[in-house]
Amino acid sequence: MAAATRTAPRAREIFTTLEYGPAPESHACALAWLDTQDRHLGHYVNGKWLKPERRNSVPCQDPITGENLAICLQAQAEDVAAAVEAARTALENWSTLPGARRAQHLTRLAKMIQKHQRLLWTLESLVTGRAVREVRDRDVPLAQQLLQYHAVQAHTQEEALAGWEPMGVIGLIVPPTFSFLEMMWRICPALAVGCTVVVLVPPASPAPLLLAQLAGELGSFPGILNMISGPTSLGPVLASQPGVQKVAFCGAVEEGRTLRRTLAGQGLELSLALGAESLLLLTEAADVDSAVEGVVDATWSDRSQVFQAGDVPSDSPFYPPTLISDLPPASPCAQTEVPWPLVVASPFRTAKEALAVANGTPRGGSASVWSERLGQALELGYRLRMGIVWINAHGLRDPAVPTGGCKESGSSWHGGPDGLYEYLRPSGTPARQPSLSENLNYDTFGLAVPSTLPAGPETGPSSAPPYGLFVGGRFQAPGARSSRPIQDSHGNLHGYVAEGGAKDIRGAVEAAHQAAPGWVGQSPGARAALLGALAAALERRESALAARLERHGVELKVAKAEVELSVRRLRAWGARAQAQGHTLQVAELRGPVLRLREPLGVLAIVCPDEWPLLAFVSLLAPALAHGNTVVLVPSGTCPIPALEVCQDVATLLPAGLVNVVTGDRDHLTRCLALHQDVQALWYFGSVQGSQFVEWASAGNLKPVWVNRGLPRAWDQDAEGAGPELGLRAAQTKALWLPMGD
Amino acid sequence: MAAHNLGTELDLSWISKVQVNHPAVLRRAQQVQARRTVKKEWQAAWLLKAVTFIDFTTLSGDDTSSNVQRLCYKAKYPIREDLLKALNMHDKDITTAAVCVYPARVCDAVRALKAAGCNIPVASVATGFPAGQTHLKTRLEEIRLAVEDGATEIDVVINRSLVLTGQWEGSDFIKTSTGKETVNATFPVAIVMLRAIRDFFWKTGNKIGFKPAGGIRSAKDALAWLSLIKEELGDEWLKPELFRIGASTLLSDIERQIYHHVTGRYAAYHDLPMS
Repeated sequence: MAAATRTAPRAREIFTTLEYGPAPESHACALAWLDTQDRHLGHYVNGKWLKPERRNSVPCQDPITGENLAICLQAQAEDVAAAVEAARTALENWSTLPGARRAQHLTRLAKMIQKHQRLLWTLESLVTGRAVREVRDRDVPLAQQLLQYHAVQAHTQEEALAGWEPMGVIGLIVPPTFSFLEMMWRICPALAVGCTVVVLVPPASPAPLLLAQLAGELGSFPGILNMISGPTSLGPVLASQPGVQKVAFCGAVEEGRTLRRTLAGQGLELSLALGAESLLLLTEAADVDSAVEGVVDATWSDRSQVFQAGDVPSDSPFYPPTLISDLPPASPCAQTEVPWPLVVASPFRTAKEALAVANGTPRGGSASVWSERLGQALELGYRLRMGIVWINAHGLRDPAVPTGGCKESGSSWHGGPDGLYEYLRPSGTPARQPSLSENLNYDTFGLAVPSTLPAGPETGPSSAPPYGLFVGGRFQAPGARSSRPIQDSHGNLHGYVAEGGAKDIRGAVEAAHQAAPGWVGQSPGARAALLGALAAALERRESALAARLERHGVELKVAKAEVELSVRRLRAWGARAQAQGHTLQVAELRGPVLRLREPLGVLAIVCPDEWPLLAFVSLLAPALAHGNTVVLVPSGTCPIPALEVCQDVATLLPAGLVNVVTGDRDHLTRCLALHQDVQALWYFGSVQGSQFVEWASAGNLKPVWVNRGLPRAWDQDAEGAGPELGLRAAQTKALWLPMGD
Repeated sequence: MAAHNLGTELDLSWISKVQVNHPAVLRRAQQVQARRTVKKEWQAAWLLKAVTFIDFTTLSGDDTSSNVQRLCYKAKYPIREDLLKALNMHDKDITTAAVCVYPARVCDAVRALKAAGCNIPVASVATGFPAGQTHLKTRLEEIRLAVEDGATEIDVVINRSLVLTGQWEGSDFIKTSTGKETVNATFPVAIVMLRAIRDFFWKTGNKIGFKPAGGIRSAKDALAWLSLIKEELGDEWLKPELFRIGASTLLSDIERQIYHHVTGRYAAYHDLPMS
């Protein structure tokens, strides 16, 4: 018999209390890795460590014990520039590789992570204080799955995404409390489609640096992934580097707003993923126990701000999970985002009320609906204005499912096809323009409306009465009771159109909102039929429209072609709208996940001056076909064809669906861009106007599409009727439906 | 044993109001096994506690007085004396919760336990175990005879034909299954049962016991089961009066784990006394 060698006096007490006790993991490998860097972390650029001299540094501490683990350098502008330069150099090679080669590289990276997963999860959990099991069982496997999924996407890119090209160098800014997984969600699609990435991480984040090192040690393609650790004030510096085509920001709402304003006019794409709030809707038909598990899960899932509570000393940085009830929406605490691990429970009486409360905040991230009654669950799921809805589950994630938000949660996506489009642009799009209009005065742009004074005798055919505004299904006089003259290409008077102002815009947006529920409720087939009827009406009006265009210097043949193309496009978009929403197969889940395409809401469009009829119709058609209601500002020089179209709209389409306001373009743009209840704005006008629109969109964080003063070839299908229009005209919602009984 | 369940009127509306979200339950079941671990002294203490919940069972066609006697002695001395001494637990009277045998072997079990000087209860399976498809008269007689022979607990097989036609019975304990089915004690099933026990307690104040049986073989499983009871029902249920594990080979795996904790080595088969 072997002799007993160890005594454990405490087993006696534990036998009675049956407490869990600590189950610590050894941090040895993380500390060993930090030792390889002499506990002195820098940046990782172009496949090498970068540790420039004379930089500030911050300590990286263990949040539980306060022990100093390492010191981390803070970058300065030159370091950012070096990183962007490396990314640009790498881009030429990386973006022209065949997709299969990129796929291979991503797969190798996944294997590299697999080999070093213990180091990765140990380091991440050590530095952030998150439980090892969270990082080990959720984050690291998901990171590998992300790479594998995106490798597959890269592989098929040439066929599946023909007509799209990678944007270029992407700047990614992550907030102080983020997990490396959130970074991976963005890095993987960007790399897969051929972009290269510079990530600005907050200092004292070793795990991303380790990740960059693992990627660098693959040998080939250094410089596709660069990490700079520095304060968020370097964000605009990163954005202003030449060559950066897009900035992706995830973090707090206010910081996102500030960034949106700062980057206006710089010719960059900006995508924002803001806030971290998630909602649970618990009905009486729910399995309450499972819902409670869902809440607990949500508290611990990818919110690295939450740490394990329990028996922690009171001076620790941890906050215990807290349930708050009886907090009505009007209370000031309820109006800001509720940070985990706080959970606010709000009662509701009917499903309608639940939706009102849930949709009654500016946030639109994710939500779960708990009900065992299928009909009720789907009704709530469809009507919640969120980017992701889980039915009877919470927090499920899969690389193939797009994850994003709407409203003030930002409209950027990661995962799934939407995640890929974030880093793509239609082939042949010109590269970004350098920074412009630094002296644009946001306070005065478009504020004043120049007065219209009588301009001498009217020549030409006897003047017709001035056109009104087309709002709420009929022509009406503008609030300002003023009109502006429109001259044809010979300088003769063509007609008068209304001088629309802020009140008219307000009225138009209201009318559009009133028409929205009815329009959304129509089936795609019904919408297609109405668009077809409008197309037929335009055909009948062809000669009148062509004549109007001719007066503005368009050759008759070209004018007729413009009308015909407009008619064709109306029909085509109606047909395309019928193919909406499809199901995704998700690997780990039993049951479907639906990728729904939903209308944005009220879409405001400022049409270009060129192609006055064709552009008007080419923008109107996809917007309507996808279920939006619209407020349009037609071409400034030639608004009359658009108003002629409205005469047919008045008889064929429901009132308020299409609203057209004429007037001073800058003034009307200002009103629309500042309007908090316009869900998206497309602007085709001047450089200054584009900048203003981007700046003003920060108000309600509406997605905007601006042309930066560049004309567009509306007659070419690629630019005038391409898939980009369809993508921008709707938003995605992922609806998860786990099955099982 | 705990106070008996005095029972309530059968109210089928309770059952129809129950909602079970199956996929969520499956997820919870997976979590239970992965989420919380116990290590070192905590593991040793938990495993010893688990031993005190075991209904040490033999239900073989070839059971005789000799193997029943071995079983009973193992029930009295489940862990080797020196290992218990090393953990300072030798004076806590660690035995299994009960011994569980066929009705015909109850006499042998009672005699063996008396000889060993052990007062743990003898549980008998009864009522046409395992299928339950015998006449009510013989089933009742079985119970009477087993009790006469000295059994103080009876594992009753419910009449499944009654269940499938909606005619329910009440009890003091609910057991996942006979242990003789193809699928026995799984976590998803257990989660639903435990939540039902909790609901019943909130509604009536009665505490019903829970016994998983069949397929629980490893010490790791036992720890997961204890964790599940702790989280779903609380520490009050972690007593032999309210929680039993029906098992036989589980005990030797637990003993091996304890051996490893105490000595740092892996035991050979012959190092630990057989049951």
